[in-house]
Amino acid sequence: MRVVIAEDLALLRDGLTRLLRDNGFDVVAAVEEGNALLRVIATEKPDIAIVDIRLPPTFRDEGVRAALEARRRSPGTAILVVSQYVEQTYATELLADGRGGVGYLLKDRIMDVADFVDAVRRVAEGGTALDPEVVSQLFSRRRDGPLERLTPRELEVLGLMAEGRSNTGIARALVLTVGAVEKHIARILDKLDLPPAESDHRRVLAVLTYVQDQPPS
Amino acid sequence: MSRLLYPLVKAATYKAVAFYVAQLAVGAVAFALLIAGWTITLVFAITPLVVPLLIGLRVAVGLLAQAQAGLTRGLLGVDVQTPASTAGTGFWSRGFNVLGDRMFWKQQAHLLLALPTALIPLVFFAEAGELITSPIWARWVEGFEVWWIEVDSFASALPFAGAGLVLLVVSVHLLGPCARFSRWLASRLLSGDPGPVRSPAELRARRLQALTVDALVSTCVIVVLVAIWALTSGDYFWPIWPMLALALVVGIPGWVVLVLERPEVSRLALGSHTLAIQIGVSAVLCCFLVGVWAVTSNGYFWPIWPALGLALLAGVHAAVVYGRRAHRIEELEETRAGAVSVQETELRRIERDLHDGAQARLVALGMSIGMAEEKLRTDPEGAIALLAEARTGAREALEELRDLARGIHPPILTDRGLEAAIAALAARSPVPVTVSVAVAARPPAAVETAAYFVVAETLANAIKYAGAARIDIRISHANGSLVAEVADDGRGGADPSGNGLTGLEQRVRALDGRLRVASPAGGPTTVRAELPCA
Repeated sequence: MRVVIAEDLALLRDGLTRLLRDNGFDVVAAVEEGNALLRVIATEKPDIAIVDIRLPPTFRDEGVRAALEARRRSPGTAILVVSQYVEQTYATELLADGRGGVGYLLKDRIMDVADFVDAVRRVAEGGTALDPEVVSQLFSRRRDGPLERLTPRELEVLGLMAEGRSNTGIARALVLTVGAVEKHIARILDKLDLPPAESDHRRVLAVLTYVQDQPPS
Repeated sequence: MSRLLYPLVKAATYKAVAFYVAQLAVGAVAFALLIAGWTITLVFAITPLVVPLLIGLRVAVGLLAQAQAGLTRGLLGVDVQTPASTAGTGFWSRGFNVLGDRMFWKQQAHLLLALPTALIPLVFFAEAGELITSPIWARWVEGFEVWWIEVDSFASALPFAGAGLVLLVVSVHLLGPCARFSRWLASRLLSGDPGPVRSPAELRARRLQALTVDALVSTCVIVVLVAIWALTSGDYFWPIWPMLALALVVGIPGWVVLVLERPEVSRLALGSHTLAIQIGVSAVLCCFLVGVWAVTSNGYFWPIWPALGLALLAGVHAAVVYGRRAHRIEELEETRAGAVSVQETELRRIERDLHDGAQARLVALGMSIGMAEEKLRTDPEGAIALLAEARTGAREALEELRDLARGIHPPILTDRGLEAAIAALAARSPVPVTVSVAVAARPPAAVETAAYFVVAETLANAIKYAGAARIDIRISHANGSLVAEVADDGRGGADPSGNGLTGLEQRVRALDGRLRVASPAGGPTTVRAELPCA
């Protein structure tokens, strides 16, 4: 699997490169800023780009902007954004096109190597990986959109879906059977009025609804 | 009936009456000024004096028109755009452009129309007043007449009083159309193109250019006059008069430009621009008067009196500046002490958090890794357990550092500004929050941060202590200040001298802002911070 990395701190850039290579990824480029990222995405056509949010020159949200721009130029480019902090606003922006292939994780999660590598693979294959922190930020707020229709248990399941867990993973986390989880998911998709379509895409749309608390447009 | 009397209870009616009374005064002044001004100007039309006279007339007309625009805006509620000011253009170019300035003629037309437009409604009111009070007049005034009919008793005056009441209602209804006409007139004649907004650099360049043009044109005029004098070989050196006048014309703006260009000049005058300008202009005027004295008599040194007067005015101004400065220093000392104490507490908190939190965790982390290193050969299982422990420790340390950083300066505020940061706060709130942000440009970073913390802290209080069911956050701009207001419908009774609010107040006051807390027991609570953006 071909990966490009955009991270301005050499220590983290090299560490991430090494970690990914050790786990069988092919790191084709590691750059320091957003414009260089857009260039290597255009030339290398990687399976996934791993992007830090704070990049030169302004050290604000260049990473998010570069990621959105990359997806605008070639829709479907898988992007995993990593950062020292998470904001629901950015998660919403990244997921807004409803295509999937988006992840947004705290850098802390890199330490759990197996989980992190899993998340990279999942995002590269068109799934999502939202940090549990984003999910918990979303959990505390009030709801007035379509999510109001969900039971607390269903919300929990949807939160874990947003994190990108598989049905088996959700079942393990909530101590349920896989069958029960599947039933919950079917009900969630139904309550959110998601049209029957290819199941991965519906999952992404459900997560988008979760993040925006608005019906998917 | 109620429709007939309705205007009597409307504020607009009284505002319109006030407008016409004020308009009467302004109109009378303007009428006298225009007659006198134009007469004098026409008399001197063929002399060089016509230039300063025209400028003076232009300035006076501009000021009166501004007063009218203010009245129209305040009392009739029309938004009259102030036309571009001619400030920064030089003496000569201003003088030559007066007659071609369309705004000048429009403003004069409006000034002349002020008197008749005010008289028409007011005459009705005056007549109504006279009729209504006619029973009193009839009682006390011998041979009192209304409409050429003699009224000599209370009873015979009563019908007139009734007619007066009817006339009053008619006049009140007449005010509406009159005000509409006045509004239309003001929007046609007083409103002007406000002109492009000029940057400080542009204004500087224009001022300098105007000064250069003035100096050059004045020098040319003097050279021509001296040449004429030399050719006519008159004895009396009459060009000294235009020389003195033009020295004044160039000297005053020259001094103003000097003060504005060189801050060290105003530093000599207690650091006040206006005081420095006043002193300099007074000095130029004194020199001019001494010049006049020297050219004329050399006798009694009369310029001493105006000089003393100007010195007195400058002294008063200096005393005011000084007093204000002393007050400001006091205020600054106080707010700085507050800011220092806020910062000190903050730093101590951060230090303690680091010491007890992340630092301790990193020490533990190092120990776990060290032990794991030793166990690696003898007890690989134990080493793996220790490394897992180390990883958990590292994650916890990161979490703590992240919370700490958020408390110092939230990242989303840096990245996206106040609106996004407050929206993020609101999105996380378990209580319904409405947010309205109406701020054009991004305020300075310090103001943004203070506003953010005021909102964050107040929001947290409203949720935690006040038991609010809904919260409104409003961020707006007023008079050069950023205004952040948080209102909740909770139980109120917040203590403004409590720890949290005192800290916020010190934060706000350090930026010359004000924090107001209204929280009666039983609610609702409103916290409002005003932060100057200059």
